[in-house]
Amino acid sequence: MHASPSVLIVDRSEETREVLETALEKRGIRTLCAARIHRAAEMARAQQPDLIVLDLELDRSNLGQVCAKFQAEADCQQPPMVLLGSMQKAPANPHCEIVAKPYHYGLLIRKIEEILETLNRDSRKPA
Amino acid sequence: MPSLFVIRGNDQGSRFEFAEGTTSIGRDASNDIQLHDTEVSRRHAQIYGSKDVYTVSDLDSSNGTFVNGRPVEAHRLESGDHLQIGRTLMLFTQPPGAPEVDLSDKVAISSDKAFGDQSHIVHSVSHEESSHFFELSPQVEQSAWLARARGNLQAMYRAALAVSQTLDIDKLLHRIMELIFESVEADRGCVMLTDADTGRLQPKVQRTRRNSKDGDRITISETILDYVMENGEGVLTSDAQQDDRWNPAASIVRMGIREAICVPMRGRYDIVGVIYIDTSTSPQELMLKGVANRFSEDHLKLMVAIAHQAALAVEDTRYYSAMVQAERLAAVGQTIATLSHHIKNILQGIRGGSYLIEMGLSEHDETVVRKGWKIVEKNQNKISALVLDMLTFSKEREPDLQPADINRVVCDVVELMQAHAADLDVAVHCRLADDIPTLVFDPEGMHRAILNVITNAIDAAADSERSGNVEVATAYLPEDGKIQVSIRDDGPGIPADEMEALFRPFVSSKKSRGTGLGLPVSQKILSEHGGRIAVESYPGKGSCFSLELPAVAPGTGREATSQTTIEEP
Repeated sequence: MHASPSVLIVDRSEETREVLETALEKRGIRTLCAARIHRAAEMARAQQPDLIVLDLELDRSNLGQVCAKFQAEADCQQPPMVLLGSMQKAPANPHCEIVAKPYHYGLLIRKIEEILETLNRDSRKPA
Repeated sequence: MPSLFVIRGNDQGSRFEFAEGTTSIGRDASNDIQLHDTEVSRRHAQIYGSKDVYTVSDLDSSNGTFVNGRPVEAHRLESGDHLQIGRTLMLFTQPPGAPEVDLSDKVAISSDKAFGDQSHIVHSVSHEESSHFFELSPQVEQSAWLARARGNLQAMYRAALAVSQTLDIDKLLHRIMELIFESVEADRGCVMLTDADTGRLQPKVQRTRRNSKDGDRITISETILDYVMENGEGVLTSDAQQDDRWNPAASIVRMGIREAICVPMRGRYDIVGVIYIDTSTSPQELMLKGVANRFSEDHLKLMVAIAHQAALAVEDTRYYSAMVQAERLAAVGQTIATLSHHIKNILQGIRGGSYLIEMGLSEHDETVVRKGWKIVEKNQNKISALVLDMLTFSKEREPDLQPADINRVVCDVVELMQAHAADLDVAVHCRLADDIPTLVFDPEGMHRAILNVITNAIDAAADSERSGNVEVATAYLPEDGKIQVSIRDDGPGIPADEMEALFRPFVSSKKSRGTGLGLPVSQKILSEHGGRIAVESYPGKGSCFSLELPAVAPGTGREATSQTTIEEP
């Protein structure tokens, strides 16, 4: 794990990205942003973020497909994810949290921080 | 694909499509078709389809499964069947299977020359004239039987004509009654329809022949009505004593004779009502003419036939209004769903902005406050745009015509959208014609119209996995008297089945990102100018929207191409 944790934000809305970016950077968390799945998958491969925040209403495909599409393209060891929107079936990745829209940013950011803290604790544990 | 369309019940307006194999129907969410109806069992029925044959079977439900009003265990469904489960009434439709023979081989339409046909038109009959087809020509002598038969045919034909000409039930029933009075010697008559909710007969039309001595009030025996409704048979009644033990003459002379015909209105699915007529012959008339029945079995048969025609029309009309009502409900639901998605997104934006403002205030960081404020402002604009679109769409407005430069308008829009496009990895190219003169149009309206189409183009281009391209071009076509703004994207294109709904308000293919108002508003603005939007789409390659606007030079005042009036600037 890097010195400071990093989060990849994948959301079509520039506003959402800006809010999360500003709020997370203020808390000393590095952020990466992408508007589209393809670009996001590239970033996930290259930068190996600790956590991914993925908007499920990313394109025309139905909500379940967005997640699957991303995972197929990113083709990397999957970090935990926070999914924004609603999904009928929980995805296969066990480290997935779903936050229904419309959400409050305070709660979402607290959730992101909690996950990162857990990760941090786990990585410090002796192997 | 076969489907069930709910025409009555809580799910009214829903259409369930299903494929071959087993489709379960019930109250439970685990069913393929879930009905929100407390009188439906958890697992109520199932439809099994194979090779275009669909069979519904009841799964031991508590309230049963009905096809066209009859309880069934298992029943092969035909297109047009009514399937009732609990309080939910559904219409089964199935597209016809592929025809085995191509009939165009057997029936050909060709020009006369090619065919070598020497036929010419000898006589033609208009729709109106055809209704007199069975009328007697006064010169020809007729036997009484033939005259009656022709009279009956004439009445039947007119009834069929009346049915085809109106969707207004009351008008139709009046016309039917009129026809009956023309062909049967009745004194009084009425039509009663079964009320859909209470199941009771309600009088709809009442008619009395002038000079009738019985007055307007018709009393109908309940026994007769019950018999007609239950057995679905028409009856002819007479109160003339038939018992030989009585002296017929005496009783008739005292009371006269009352005869009545009561027939069911039997439609495709059900009996929708009854038609009743009666007549009475006074003792005086009997003395003069002798005992002769006024109503005959022929009359009864004619009445049954006419009532059947009327019933079909009543069913059609009821079905039609149920469809209209259901479609309307579905449309309202669609509208609310699309709008609430869009508003939810705006709300999300405002929450984000306020969150940053709050954070900035508590940390005394003005840059963060500014960032937040910008987001809040942007979302305020989105709400105004939405309200503006809704207003533009909902009310008749006159475009604010003034001399303006279409290239300027296009440039403004492209500039406005450039950042948003770059954000989605879409490049917007501009190719502007330099020979377009200053023309008269509503620049603000056109700005909105172009903006909506470009927004769609950018969204479509962003849907392709590579970086997208949008090309905006203007052209002046003086020979057609118009200018053209074409917006081309290299997105996935529009599926053929979505083309039809393209300009339908509140239908968005963009999920939560669209209001479903963009294209309808653009189209409205263009037609206010006497222009139009042409769409071409190539699935997999992209789409091109051409906004065509009549080129109206300032100060001409006599614009042949424009349908709008031009105010002098």
